[in-house]
Amino acid sequence: MHEHSLEDTKNGNRVAIVGNPNVGKSVIFGLLTGRYATVSNYPGTTVTLTSGSCKAGGEDLWVTDTPGVNTLIPMSEDEVVTRDILLNQAIKLVVQVADAKNPSRGLQISLQLAEMGLPFMLVLNMWDEANSRGIDINVKKLSDAIGTTVIPTIGVQRKGIKELRESLTEERYSSLSISYGNLIEDGIKKLEAILPQSRISRRSIALMLLAGDASLKPWLNKNVSPSDVNTIDAIRRDLQNKFYEPLGYVINQIRLKKAEKIVEGVLSRHQKSGSNVTVHIGKWAMHPVWGIPVLLAALFLMYEFVGVLGAQVLVGLLEEGLFGNYINPYMTFIAERFIPDLFFRDLFVGEYGIITMALTYSIALILPIVGTFFIAFGILEDSGYLPRLAIMVHKIFKLMGLHGKAVLPMVLGLGCDTMATFTARVMETRKERVIVTLLLALGVPCSAQLGVILGMLGGVSLTATLVWAFSVILVIFLVGYLSSKVLKGESSDFVFDIPPLRIPVLSNIVFKTLSRTEWYLKEAVPLFIVGTLILFTLDKIGGLEVIERIASPVVVSFLGLPAKATEAFLIGFLRRDYGAAGLFALAQNGQLNPNQVVISLVTITLFVPCVANLLVMIKERGLRTALAMVAFIFPFAFFVGGVLNFGFNLLGIKL
Amino acid sequence: MDYHRSRDQFEEDRIDEVLELIWILREEGESHIEDVRKRSEDPNVSQVLYIVESEGLVSTDNGRISFDQQGEKRAENVIRRHRLAERLLSEVFEIEEKQVEDHACELEHTHVLSEVVVDSICTFLGHPPTCPHGKAIPRGECCKRFSNELKPLVVPLTELHIGDEARIVFISSKYHARLDRLSSLGIVPGGILHLHQKQPTYLIKIGETELALDRELAKEIFAKKMQQG
Repeated sequence: MHEHSLEDTKNGNRVAIVGNPNVGKSVIFGLLTGRYATVSNYPGTTVTLTSGSCKAGGEDLWVTDTPGVNTLIPMSEDEVVTRDILLNQAIKLVVQVADAKNPSRGLQISLQLAEMGLPFMLVLNMWDEANSRGIDINVKKLSDAIGTTVIPTIGVQRKGIKELRESLTEERYSSLSISYGNLIEDGIKKLEAILPQSRISRRSIALMLLAGDASLKPWLNKNVSPSDVNTIDAIRRDLQNKFYEPLGYVINQIRLKKAEKIVEGVLSRHQKSGSNVTVHIGKWAMHPVWGIPVLLAALFLMYEFVGVLGAQVLVGLLEEGLFGNYINPYMTFIAERFIPDLFFRDLFVGEYGIITMALTYSIALILPIVGTFFIAFGILEDSGYLPRLAIMVHKIFKLMGLHGKAVLPMVLGLGCDTMATFTARVMETRKERVIVTLLLALGVPCSAQLGVILGMLGGVSLTATLVWAFSVILVIFLVGYLSSKVLKGESSDFVFDIPPLRIPVLSNIVFKTLSRTEWYLKEAVPLFIVGTLILFTLDKIGGLEVIERIASPVVVSFLGLPAKATEAFLIGFLRRDYGAAGLFALAQNGQLNPNQVVISLVTITLFVPCVANLLVMIKERGLRTALAMVAFIFPFAFFVGGVLNFGFNLLGIKL
Repeated sequence: MDYHRSRDQFEEDRIDEVLELIWILREEGESHIEDVRKRSEDPNVSQVLYIVESEGLVSTDNGRISFDQQGEKRAENVIRRHRLAERLLSEVFEIEEKQVEDHACELEHTHVLSEVVVDSICTFLGHPPTCPHGKAIPRGECCKRFSNELKPLVVPLTELHIGDEARIVFISSKYHARLDRLSSLGIVPGGILHLHQKQPTYLIKIGETELALDRELAKEIFAKKMQQG
């Protein structure tokens, strides 16, 4: 994702796209650069910087997409990312994207950009949505009022992008200015005298400091002497004492008033163009009563699409049809012809062969499920349903020390936990991120695994499926609840922008699904091959039996499973879906009874999803936290399996 | 009448106290002079009783004491001040109960809170019918004006009805970060919001922005309902 070396060389021509959350920055970025940045109808999905090159008027520009901000005084980690790029990098032009429906919120950022002394232009995106809501903005007047270029666009329809591209080479400094009243202006002057020259104006830094922006600390320590830092603090405290409300709040309010005044002069309203079906569905989707059938309908459609079309129809076609009838026999035939050595032949087409096991699993079994899931998820995401789902499940998540916003990582986790672990960043506090990461790693089965598991359970009984689902959900809930009590730290406030429901754009879904699937295959297939190689090697040197014997007290006595299941758990350490696939094979051979199927599946569902996920956990949450989670998860998974086994025996349950 | 002129604020306050006590006794049942003597904290309650009777504020009959028109009015005012003050102190400023009583006793006198201020407090609190202990607060002029709608004027979002349109008056958060966050989303005093839903989370619309918020936050946003029609 990062292209540091390139970024350094492109510094002189950097264009930064900034704006409020969910106004379409990533869409505009994609249109300008032809690169894909995570586009979704869910605020806060861009958490890292993505850059790409763009040709405009014969110039090569380097465009960077930034996380959405509501103000340039950061309140969360992703907002720091955006502010810091403006603070620390040489920027040729800022392209500010704003929601045409909500110009005053956008203008609050324009005011801050103007204050910083950065050249910028304003893009009013979602022009069509504003129009259908009866909002007209006089672009010419607005452009005069803020003294810089204003371009209306409809990102998803590519309208206005040509004009935008053409004006990218103009450097226009806005003439906007704002007065904060004598007291604050006085404070600004005092600070300006102390602050060093930097890329953005002293005035803007002074205002950030007055507003109490703690995230500026690293910058201060680097650029200002410790005694000056103390002086700055004293000036701020002194000024704060003169106000009843926090200074940051006072400053925000003044900006908002100014923004509203500008909007008043340029905005007019006309009759709304009829009521919209999506508006109604959007309302139903978060209604306390009607929201539930909508939720069930969404679940049902998703199940039909992923569970039936993907996991049954497509898997059937690929696994039995393509691989079973053509590729595997053909490959075996070729191998027998051309690889005389049995050892190497087995390496490709044997029981643990790269083609017969690794590729069959990954392409035939996993790809269709993951692919259909990503399509379904893309539709959910782009339609704007997920934020509504967040509202519906908010209360349940609250019991787990989280809030509705956690729905994005959790649902994405049903596709790929590794990907979802990255998006834990939509949560604002460390505590929440740790809980999300833990629950993803522990209990949320990814689509690959889910496909295998449901396939297996479907063959047993509905009761078995329910027991499995209930056990896993109960565990997620209990662990979530307990960790919210045990972990120190704060939970953040649930205030959440609800974007309008939109009809997803096909090309974006296709684009997104392809890039996610590609990413998935790159992560998964090598691991499948490595896993197969490990099994192959162990099998050849007789190591499997040794391990099975060592593990037998746990697997055989405690979990009540056949020793052969150890193999599945072993590869389950690499990827739990692969482990589940191993169990699938056992069940198909009649080596597991229904009780054993449920026990083994619950156990493997609670494993850490895969090595890639572990690496992301380390990267995102730090080595210590990640290892602590792993040290908890594996023994806990076996423990739950054992408890289930004990419970079945005690109650004499036969599924 | 001489001594009327020379009477100081202290004496006025003593009269207030005795009238207040008589009112409370009446609420409890009957007001006997003996009870007034017993429960009054005034070192020279007989003197005050003599004054109130000779000034035509109260009359006595067979050991029982009752208000005359003027006295009734004055006692009502004292009680109203005291109980409104209790509510203001305990609910808005969250002052401890013990201290509430002391301060309320100070605030009940005419010279501390003028009629206008008392009515404003009453309106601000939404014309509450009772004090925190459940005793009735005598209605004032301001309450009569709103007699058809005795709802508080400024209420937390949680007290509004679904579909209401309201102007945000203040946000009572202890956390600066929360105030900043809300203001960056457009939730600031003066903003006009529509309340769409209260379950499963609060759902409001400000301008063209739809926001979901937790009850915790909704409790801290105080708004004044807009006049219908």
